[in-house]
Amino acid sequence: MFKSLTEKNERRNQLSIMAQYLNTNFMINTVENEYLINIEKGVVTSVQEGPFVMPSYNFKLTAPKDEWLKFLQPIPQPGSHDIIAMLRRKVLKFDGDLHPLMSHLLYFKLLLASLRPQEKEI
Amino acid sequence: MIEKEPISGQYGKFEIDGISHRIYWEEAGEGIPLVCLHTAGSDGRQYRALLNDEKILEKFRVLVFDMPWHGKSSPPENSSIGNYKLSTDLYISQILSFIDGLELIKPVVMGCSIGGRIILHLAIHFPEKFRALIGLQSAGHLDPYYDINWLHRQDVHGGEVCGGIAYGLMAPTSPEKEKFETMWHYMQGGPGIFKGDLFFYKYDGNIGNEIRKIDNSKCPIYLLTGEYDYSATPEETKILADSIGIEMVKMKNVGHFPMSENPEEFLKYLHPVLEKIN
Repeated sequence: MFKSLTEKNERRNQLSIMAQYLNTNFMINTVENEYLINIEKGVVTSVQEGPFVMPSYNFKLTAPKDEWLKFLQPIPQPGSHDIIAMLRRKVLKFDGDLHPLMSHLLYFKLLLASLRPQEKEI
Repeated sequence: MIEKEPISGQYGKFEIDGISHRIYWEEAGEGIPLVCLHTAGSDGRQYRALLNDEKILEKFRVLVFDMPWHGKSSPPENSSIGNYKLSTDLYISQILSFIDGLELIKPVVMGCSIGGRIILHLAIHFPEKFRALIGLQSAGHLDPYYDINWLHRQDVHGGEVCGGIAYGLMAPTSPEKEKFETMWHYMQGGPGIFKGDLFFYKYDGNIGNEIRKIDNSKCPIYLLTGEYDYSATPEETKILADSIGIEMVKMKNVGHFPMSENPEEFLKYLHPVLEKIN
């Protein structure tokens, strides 16, 4: 579901410029599964699919799989178009050390949106 | 020669709660004064399309001021970083000072987000002063749904985080050019100003049972809300409209900043409202 984040394209090259000092890892939890995502200098270097025994990460985003699928639609519906919108609906939970996320909020929003088919460039 | 826009910008000294403020405003058009209020943490550039809309400018004098601390308006004297908090009373004083300072008679006031909230306070306390009030993205109250302390921390770039918050409030269907500009305004805000405005939006400006005091017969109220707004949702505007006893308009394909993120779509909804007022 999130493994293609490591695939390089022009859009993600541009995104890495927005986060060139960012080195972190974070977990996306879909309730059914987990994805551990590593970022070095703004580039996604690996996406590991769980289950994990003792994963170590900075922060975690948890939402049911069907909510992630709604988010990943080419044109998502209101309330599913943004991770803060999902937070507002209480279908997504942030936890852990949120500093890497909040200090690069637009980067993470656009990184996840880059998984949408035909998602427009900002 | 370049193509010039019909907008003129000016500075003036306005007394707000007894303190002199240097305020910047832009205006265009002639006729009924239409004072537009920008959103929290942004400035009057959000109304650039209205200020250029020939149809509106034929019958309305559109005026947009930057609130103190925002855009080109100065902070008041003896200010310091980190203490800015917008209260309901202060916001009302700013609006009335602008209207009285320019001797505007029975203006229409249109506000978005915090502006959409303050027009409700104006309707409660000064209905006789306005020809009509238009609320964009209006809701009676808002329960906090994220920690606004992230908006002002020395270890997080304020422009980056405020822009990131604003970006998500817009519709995925809005034009990227307009979305980027809307976000850019947020990226240019001063430290702690967006957060300070949200003190009004999320705490001080919440309206409880006072909403029952609004009498639509004294001053007509129009409410329009974009479907992609998750801050003031169409459902919340509907609750508000029902309380007042009026209809609301749900705008398709726009989010929290209709006049700025998708002016073309927004004007389709605004023109009929202004025709009714006129």
